[in-house]
Amino acid sequence: MKLEVTELTKCYGKTRALDALSLAVESSRVLVLIGPSGGGKSTLLRVLGGLDVGDSGQVTINRQPILTDPNALQAYRRKNGFLFQQFNLFPHYTARRNIALPLEKVHGFSPAEAAAMTEQALARFSLLEHADKLPSQLSGGQQQRVGIARAVARPPEILFLDEPTSALDPEMTAEVLELIQELSEAGQDIILSTHEMGFARAVANQVAFVAAGKIEELSPPDELFGSPKSPLCQRFLSRVMRY
Amino acid sequence: MSRHHRIANAIVAIALVLGFSWLCTMLFALLGNQTDWSKAWNYRETLFRGWWMTLRISLMALVGSTFFGLLFMFGQRSPLVVVRWTCRAFLEFVRDTPLLVHLLFGYFVIFAPLFSRTLGDQGLDDKLIIGVLLLSVFEGAYLGEILRGGVESIPKTQWESARAVGFSPIQVYRYVIFPQALRRVLPAMAGLFVSLIKDSSLLNVIGVAEYFYNTKSFISRSYAGLEGYVPLALGYLILTLPVAWLSHWLEKRFRHET
Repeated sequence: MKLEVTELTKCYGKTRALDALSLAVESSRVLVLIGPSGGGKSTLLRVLGGLDVGDSGQVTINRQPILTDPNALQAYRRKNGFLFQQFNLFPHYTARRNIALPLEKVHGFSPAEAAAMTEQALARFSLLEHADKLPSQLSGGQQQRVGIARAVARPPEILFLDEPTSALDPEMTAEVLELIQELSEAGQDIILSTHEMGFARAVANQVAFVAAGKIEELSPPDELFGSPKSPLCQRFLSRVMRY
Repeated sequence: MSRHHRIANAIVAIALVLGFSWLCTMLFALLGNQTDWSKAWNYRETLFRGWWMTLRISLMALVGSTFFGLLFMFGQRSPLVVVRWTCRAFLEFVRDTPLLVHLLFGYFVIFAPLFSRTLGDQGLDDKLIIGVLLLSVFEGAYLGEILRGGVESIPKTQWESARAVGFSPIQVYRYVIFPQALRRVLPAMAGLFVSLIKDSSLLNVIGVAEYFYNTKSFISRSYAGLEGYVPLALGYLILTLPVAWLSHWLEKRFRHET
């Protein structure tokens, strides 16, 4: 994907979540956002994913500017996938229904087509045995996997993942990260934010360090983790890598 | 239950049964020679017509109040401040004044002068239509607040996830918010519908020939007492109990799902 963000600003009340943030990625399959909490990772992802609009600035993805008109944004969200930290699934539908419903109602597939695609997505992520369970009967890791299965059942142009493993224990984290890695190896364009530095290093083509609403540094992972240039990034990494 | 509790329970139960039977015996002893159930039987047609009318009013007002409830709920969630405030003020007014006042004022002052003739010309029962409308607005005001509470109780992440999968605003409500919100407010809604059935008896003040109205006229014509009031209470119970049971059943069914 090719991504260009210019002077993007977003305020919540008096808080400047994004402060004239600029970012240019020529071509990258997996872009990972790291940085301190409250630094603007989530806000940036939300704007990139079409869930929020910036107060000012421009975002262009694959040469297409993201428009701010609600209908255009909805159309934009429809062709991408987005996953939050947790509670992505609709609790009153089974895993299967959670995946099939958007296929039918958003993408206009017939119930039979949607059922077949759902079956395929469930099988791909080894979720068939959980297909008819309600989200409350699934573990956090399984819920996230179903969430991802839903997001990619109809292959999205870009998959956005906002700290997909932050609410999970280490074992479940591993099972979700494995799945994300699989997707990236299969060629899926992904933009994700995470606190898992090892994972970021392994899966990313480009890593962006986001702090105080700006991009402090953008480099390939080996460079960013090996020899960070920005002092903020150095301090952040030395702190999170210590334990 | 401990042994003490069981004994206390039994004693209270016996006391209650005795008290109730004493009350009944006293009443029937007082009224016994005057109570003549054949009176009620003679008026069975009028009474049944009234009961049938109450059932019809309730069903129509149920639909009507659902409509107004949704209208008030969406009105209060409108992005336009003027709409929100108008809704708020109207709801506050409706909920803080008696239904009896709405009916009298709404019928005799507002709607009857406006529509009675037109409705009558078309062969429609103007009292019934206006009465049902006023009852629907009144119950709709409460329903609007119940629905708003339900919708607002759905966590933000559900709205976000629904938007993220690409649902349109209408689909967000249809597939994600309403199914969850309704489960939460179902008991309150059933309670409201029970109130609605009971409140329909107030339509007698504008002369709608519903169950209470017909019973009242039967009582005044035949000097009946118990013969009128007992069927009156039973008639309403037949309508309200199923609603109450349905709500308990639905509540139990949905409880483990969310």
